[in-house]
Amino acid sequence: MRLIWKLLRKHISIFELGVFFIANLIGIVVILSGVQLYADIKPLLTGEKSLIGNEYMIITKPVQRVGVNSTNFTREEVADIEQQPFTLSMGEFCSSQYEVYGSLMFQGRKLSTMMFFESVPDSFIDVESDEWHFASGQRNIPIIIPRNYLNLYNFGFSQTQDLPQITESLIRGVELTIELSGNFRHETFTGYIVGFSDRLNTILVPESFMLWANERFAPYAEQETSRLIVEVENPSDPAVLAYLEQKGYVAEDKPAESNKALFLLQVCVAIIVGIGVLFSLLSIIIFTLSIYLLLQKNIDKLENLVLIGYTPSQVARPYNMMALVLNLSIFILGVIAVGFVQQTYMGLLSDMVGYELPTSLTATIIAGVILTAIVLLFNIYIIRRKVAQISRKR
Amino acid sequence: MKRITLNNAVPEIFASREDLRSEIWHSEVCFERGGRYLIEAESGTGKSSLCSYLYGQRGDYRGSILFDQSDIRNFDTNAWSEIRQTSLSILFQDLRLFGELTALENVEIKNRITHFQSHATIKGWFEELGIADKMDSRIDRMSYGQQQRVALIRALCQPIDFLLLDEPISHLDDRNSDVMRDIILRETERQGAALIATSIGKHMTIDYDKRFRL
Repeated sequence: MRLIWKLLRKHISIFELGVFFIANLIGIVVILSGVQLYADIKPLLTGEKSLIGNEYMIITKPVQRVGVNSTNFTREEVADIEQQPFTLSMGEFCSSQYEVYGSLMFQGRKLSTMMFFESVPDSFIDVESDEWHFASGQRNIPIIIPRNYLNLYNFGFSQTQDLPQITESLIRGVELTIELSGNFRHETFTGYIVGFSDRLNTILVPESFMLWANERFAPYAEQETSRLIVEVENPSDPAVLAYLEQKGYVAEDKPAESNKALFLLQVCVAIIVGIGVLFSLLSIIIFTLSIYLLLQKNIDKLENLVLIGYTPSQVARPYNMMALVLNLSIFILGVIAVGFVQQTYMGLLSDMVGYELPTSLTATIIAGVILTAIVLLFNIYIIRRKVAQISRKR
Repeated sequence: MKRITLNNAVPEIFASREDLRSEIWHSEVCFERGGRYLIEAESGTGKSSLCSYLYGQRGDYRGSILFDQSDIRNFDTNAWSEIRQTSLSILFQDLRLFGELTALENVEIKNRITHFQSHATIKGWFEELGIADKMDSRIDRMSYGQQQRVALIRALCQPIDFLLLDEPISHLDDRNSDVMRDIILRETERQGAALIATSIGKHMTIDYDKRFRL
């Protein structure tokens, strides 16, 4: 082996193999980064880990025309949803059946408005708060508002009205005067905001308060449900979408959006991988040309080796070893490089979602092994073909 | 391998010639294991072609050549490699040594795939042939006569049934050619092998079993 190598390494072009090495390394890193990116981001988009796609869907019936519509769910409909295989748990929105009037003093002005409350079972609420409870007789009402209300105020309303922007912590300190009336009663409570929800787009009070207040201010009103919150494993699940379609329900959440995002991701990754494949193909062409040239330059020696009894595969072995070493180095360097790339974008992603995302290079390693094997086998095939061609008798 | 048979074999370029007077071409010729054959030729009668056909380098002949019962046209590259490692050896007229290797390395590159001769035997031959001091010299720095001797040593580094010698002593003086003959005879007798030598004039002084005019 040492002797054949001594013979056959002559005419090896460091430059050509260097170009192959670098081009294939770039190609493999680009391809593997694309694959890894896809593997890392896809679960976030399809709701497996919840970045955009929530695991909670809010289902309503569509409003068909102006006026009073029957958008309430019947008991049967609610039971049917609850029975679906994709439903992990389900909660009903309960709305206030009495009049709510809220006001607050703000910079000497009294701001007041008619409003409403809704409640859902506590397990569906995405805000952690010690103050989220209500006991009969309590005069304080904890309230959760959607975070986008605050954004609406800060970035839409306040600037046009010359009002100061407010922070979440500031708003938590604000006391609201809440007046409830119905059933010939009129009572005043103090409301305070304990948190902001990203999931629930309504003004929430604890369910215990809602039941108490409905009983007190509207004992004869029939409780009806027009919105349901459903916990599902994956809101993009085709079965979920098909069910909603068939029943004519509307999901307030955005599985369709996450599907679009997924499609966009697939397009981006396809482009990235395409570029990588192009690089790798070019590098393979360079390698092929280089090997052909190398074998052509060494043709007399190869011929003589075969004539003194070497088999074509024995003659090809040093070149195969060369290809193996090159490709293994490319694989190792490639995986390391993708590791760095992944660290960079996972850092950015973790900042985006607000928690540390787990990182694993499994996808890279699997794809890398497959790619390296393909390139290596092709290299070996080229070497074999050329050596066989030389070995054949004239 | 016990027998090499030529059945009406003739180089393609001679096929249409009527005036061919040859004891090999267009004839039934048989080389037996253990025999000593000399093929005497003039230039241009196809001496090197004959060696190329027998060694599987070329196939541009009519008729057939058999190793035992097998037509050698049917051998593939790996079959030839097997034959060239275990049964048929040749001392090429153009030697086919590797210029960038030393004399010893040129021999070892063969012995390494056959593991047939010991280092001591090889070294003994170098000494006998008077080139022991050149063992570690690059082959392309040596004279043609010295190279011829190295090529012989390489040719002996395998089991042999038939040893083809294509003008083995063309560049050797009488003394060296006698040393070479002694080694060849010793090695072929030890293995019971045949030797088939070609010559265009000068040949080793051996008691040949049969001489052919090509």
